[in-house]
Amino acid sequence: MTTLTQTEGTPAPTGADPFLSVRDLYVRFSTEDGIVKAVDGLSFDLERGKTLGIVGESGSGKSVTNLSVLGLHNPQSTEIRGEIVLDGQELTGAPEKTLEGLRGNKMAMIFQDPLTALSPYYTVGRQIAEPFIKHTGVSRREGRLRAIEMLTKVGIPQPKLRVDDYPHQFSGGMRQRAMIAMALICNPSLLIADEPTTALDVTVQAQILDLLKDLQQEFGSAIIFITHDLGVIANMADDILVMYGGRAIERGSVKEILTTPQHPYTWGLLSSMPRLSSDIDVPLHPIPGTPPSLLNPPSGCPFHPRCAFTDKVDGNRCSGERPALPAGRSAACHLTAEQKQSIFIESIQPRLG
Amino acid sequence: MNIAKKRRARAIVVALAAGSLALTGCSSGSKNTSEGSNTDADAAKQQAVIPLGDAAASQGPAVEVPGAKPGGTIRVYQRDNFDHLDPAQIYVSDEGLLATLYTRQLTTYKTDKNGKKVLVGDLATDSGTVSDGGKTWKFTLKDGIKFEDGKPITSADIRHSIERMYAKFITDGPTYVQQWLSGGGTEYRKALPDGPYKGKHLPDSTLETPDDKTVVFHFKDPQPDAPFALAMAAYGVVQKSKDTKEKYDAAPQATGPYKIESFKPGKSMKLVKNENWDAKTDPFRHQYVDGFDITFNHQASDSTKRLMADHGEAKTALSFTNAVDPLQTREVLQDADASKRVVKGYQPYVWQMNMNMDRIKDKKIRDAITYAMPNKQILGLNGGSYGGEVAGGLMAPTLAGYEKGYDPYGKLKKPNGDPEKAKKLLKEAGKTNMKIVYAYANTEANQKVSVVVEDALTKAGFDVQKKEVDSASWYAQMGKVKNGFDLYMTGWGQDWPSASTVIPPSYDGTQIADGASNYSHINDEHVNSEIKRISRITDIKESTKEWQKLHHYIVEKVNPAAPVYYTKQLQIYGSKIGGAEYSDTINYIDPTRLYVKK
Amino acid sequence: MLQFFLRRTLGAAVILILISAFTFFLFFSIPQDPALLACGKNCTPDSLKIIHENLGLDKPVPVQYLEFMRGIVMGRDFAVGPCPAPCFGYSFANNQPIFDTILDRFPTTVSLTVGGAAVFLTLGLGAGMLAAWKRGSLIDKSFSSASLVLSSMQIYFLGPVVLGALVYSTNLMDSPKYTAFTENPAAWFVGLLIPWMVMATIFTANYTRMSRSTLIEQLQEEHVRTAKAKGMSGKTVFFRYAWRGSLIPIVTIFGMDLGSLFGGAMITEQTFSLAGIGRLAVDSVIKTDLPMIMGVMLFTATMILFFNVIVDAAYAFIDPRVRLS
Repeated sequence: MTTLTQTEGTPAPTGADPFLSVRDLYVRFSTEDGIVKAVDGLSFDLERGKTLGIVGESGSGKSVTNLSVLGLHNPQSTEIRGEIVLDGQELTGAPEKTLEGLRGNKMAMIFQDPLTALSPYYTVGRQIAEPFIKHTGVSRREGRLRAIEMLTKVGIPQPKLRVDDYPHQFSGGMRQRAMIAMALICNPSLLIADEPTTALDVTVQAQILDLLKDLQQEFGSAIIFITHDLGVIANMADDILVMYGGRAIERGSVKEILTTPQHPYTWGLLSSMPRLSSDIDVPLHPIPGTPPSLLNPPSGCPFHPRCAFTDKVDGNRCSGERPALPAGRSAACHLTAEQKQSIFIESIQPRLG
Repeated sequence: MNIAKKRRARAIVVALAAGSLALTGCSSGSKNTSEGSNTDADAAKQQAVIPLGDAAASQGPAVEVPGAKPGGTIRVYQRDNFDHLDPAQIYVSDEGLLATLYTRQLTTYKTDKNGKKVLVGDLATDSGTVSDGGKTWKFTLKDGIKFEDGKPITSADIRHSIERMYAKFITDGPTYVQQWLSGGGTEYRKALPDGPYKGKHLPDSTLETPDDKTVVFHFKDPQPDAPFALAMAAYGVVQKSKDTKEKYDAAPQATGPYKIESFKPGKSMKLVKNENWDAKTDPFRHQYVDGFDITFNHQASDSTKRLMADHGEAKTALSFTNAVDPLQTREVLQDADASKRVVKGYQPYVWQMNMNMDRIKDKKIRDAITYAMPNKQILGLNGGSYGGEVAGGLMAPTLAGYEKGYDPYGKLKKPNGDPEKAKKLLKEAGKTNMKIVYAYANTEANQKVSVVVEDALTKAGFDVQKKEVDSASWYAQMGKVKNGFDLYMTGWGQDWPSASTVIPPSYDGTQIADGASNYSHINDEHVNSEIKRISRITDIKESTKEWQKLHHYIVEKVNPAAPVYYTKQLQIYGSKIGGAEYSDTINYIDPTRLYVKK
Repeated sequence: MLQFFLRRTLGAAVILILISAFTFFLFFSIPQDPALLACGKNCTPDSLKIIHENLGLDKPVPVQYLEFMRGIVMGRDFAVGPCPAPCFGYSFANNQPIFDTILDRFPTTVSLTVGGAAVFLTLGLGAGMLAAWKRGSLIDKSFSSASLVLSSMQIYFLGPVVLGALVYSTNLMDSPKYTAFTENPAAWFVGLLIPWMVMATIFTANYTRMSRSTLIEQLQEEHVRTAKAKGMSGKTVFFRYAWRGSLIPIVTIFGMDLGSLFGGAMITEQTFSLAGIGRLAVDSVIKTDLPMIMGVMLFTATMILFFNVIVDAAYAFIDPRVRLS
């Protein structure tokens, strides 16, 4: 088992203080079966107005990380260590009152399934207006007007009528637009979108992504975009953080990750993703094995039980030593830079077509 | 009177509601030695023939209850609703007791200054004048007797009251007088199929009312017991102009000291003074309290607890008919205060183990069963010594002619049975290991009884086959001639203190039919002819002697049923109730004597 | 909405007809002659026959059933007198009109139920909310274990114990007694206080456990998390979002409880010697009083169906998805 002292490197220095900075974040849940190490020493930065894509399989810790940023974890069963600094304000250990004032205001979240994430009992308008009323102290009438304005912005037709509808009267895409309206109503500087398009049709997905981009330009929010789908992120994000087993394993710009990925896991992700441009006869290559248990994570590199290239590394380093994630563009892997490059060019790139 | 109706209702209610708290024949009294002199005195008093009183004895007012003061209202906790208030429909004892408060008959029982029971005229000036060898009974009405509305009671009303009992809607009450007048079985109904309601009447040769004050019954046969039969609540007078037929059952007119002010069936009843009742005309009833406030649905456990606690309204309360809960008997008797507020006495029932004589023809086998019967254990499961007393014969202690100590099968000496003797008799009969089908009702008490009975019979060498029967239809099933059982326990009680209401219905072989009460199907020529003969004896003292002899013959020479136990009742009343005394004609505390202590 | 009620009423009518037919024919399938009740000592086949004719039992069972059902709709004439619709006939046991008897007993049952429900709803939901709010705390744990103990209590055990403690041995209170509210509100309240408390104790435990568990379930719903993510305060999240969602199971159970309680609380009435619908039901069965059995059965079924409709209407009120679909 790896020791906790060995942490991932800091992201590339950007000169100014980042808007959101996460350092050495550890999140653990106590469950009946034992302690779940959901996030295991994660660090990343995000600048104002930029978009960070976090990619990984379910259970990789990406959603937990972001719930921790908002402080939405269950305080009784969750242990959080590390630093989360938003615009200079420390969030870990901040009083609930402070967090309440920030949530929905300075930082907001869009959830994956808008059907379950919206209350079925209240009108869309009321749910959208609620954070605005709470954070600005305006009247309900003004809140309603603002909700209509937001519905207009997210492209709901006949917003004055639809504001009084209930979520179940909306289509899936409209519900997600409503969620976005709700998240953006207070002009948040940080928007966390947790798989916002996964539950939607492909055509609607594209609309929602365009909408998010447009709104980001208008509001200037920083966005954390969580997804398991590299394709979705390609035209959304500036930077990408690949997570596996509660850790960041590769970091870089969108272009770097998509064109010259360095980590065998990232390769796997890319190979298992269908592309329109590829030949029909190029088969998909799903990653063999199952995601690691967070109750009892593998020793060394968490990916080593599924990795096809452990034989290229000397000794038992893959299973014995946890690879570090150096600052800047980097991958947490024991393969040498040359090995990475040659494997990628020789055996991975052809698969990607 | 059949014990069936009330018993079966009680058993089911207990089983349904109380679950584990059900009545488990508490044997608290069985080892108690206080079964002493009181009982003997009671029994001795009760075995005498009740004499017929003359005009002087029939005059009101009743002998004052010592210390009685007028005023106050008595709270009454009752378990069951009074389903019938129409006198003609009244047969069971709960309703019979209530009827003594609001209705009057031609005759009634009173207790004289010496504490002796006498049968006297109630509405009539005396207990009747007999002629024509006992076939004709003449009654003359008193002056000043009135209905609730103030109208005088006339002979026409008496005629109406009798004639309406022929109508089809009257089905529940006794039929003695109707049958004596117009024929047995349901034959009598043919004499007046619609009752008096369509203008027809019984001919004068049957029922005669020569003037407003005189009623003459012309019976087909001599009926020495007529004054006793007419004392039953069922023969209470009903005003012709106020007769609402079926509806009368819930709203009768009063002739007694109290009238029904309000009645919510199954919930409550209020009795208030009847201003048109004149104490001077009534040899038996009083009107001390202003009224009775009755509520129903009080189980014995509830009424016992309330009365024992003696708080608040319970101080001026009692239950007319609820006995002390067997589970609380010991507690009540050991409580210094509560034990002073109890009365006890015999009920008129005898429980007997019938032996189906169609199936068990050998008397030796019947004797063996009788010897084997564990009477005391059975009684122990039915309230012990406060629920009854081991029976040696088939006549209850409340019956004229009862002989204390009569014990041909040694049941008093060996109350738990004599298996050795039983075994010997069975061997003599050559039937060792005889298969015997024993039926019992599916109530908790009876199920427990079945265990001790099975045990005792097995010890005596029988092969017992137990058959459990639904308690609700128990008497209906046992009443079938071809019931298919050898052995079954039933209870029977007198309608008045004469064996003529016990021996003929239970042991007359000419009366065997579906639904009849000759449960053991005894059909003995001597018994049959004796019943016919004794029924015609007009001298009650003589007939009592003859019934006694016949009783001996039945028990000793035929033995159709093993005597099990006589029933007793223990009642408790609130501390401010005065005049509480057990009546052996009402079979409960006499409600007409009650007053509220100041 | 109107259509909803029409449809439900029609459905209820069909169910009631089925129940009535089932009860009626079941009654005649047991080997017990209701005429025995009215048959005196000389209960010969002849006198039974007369009673059969009196009670109409001589006719074939289907004919009796049709006459009974016709009576409910159109009224009937009996020897006792006319019986206007809805006519359930007259009791075999005491010749009283069935419908009047039920109406006479109903206020007792209503008083028992309404008072008891007021107590157990207030205490049960209050305790459940507190336990869910302070989940895992000492309060939660003590409420949970207390409700476990109390819900395993039975009225026929707890009732006599409370009566013994408050009435028989200490005289702190009088024996329970029903007085009409319109007659004397204070006596009504005092007289029913013990039954309410005892009845409520058992129900309170159930409602505590149920409201706690549904609230905790609701608190884990995604939309509740969304509300929190919007910056709603803990109280708002709890009362506006989680509570609203847990209303549906609570209303469902409450509706079922009310329906059966209005149909008569047999054991409670028995324990406290109160004459309500429940006692009537027990007595009618003991006495094989067919018209009363039918009357009580249909009344109870109507109550249950009525509250089913009310519950469904409440769903529509609580949940717009039901209302607008």
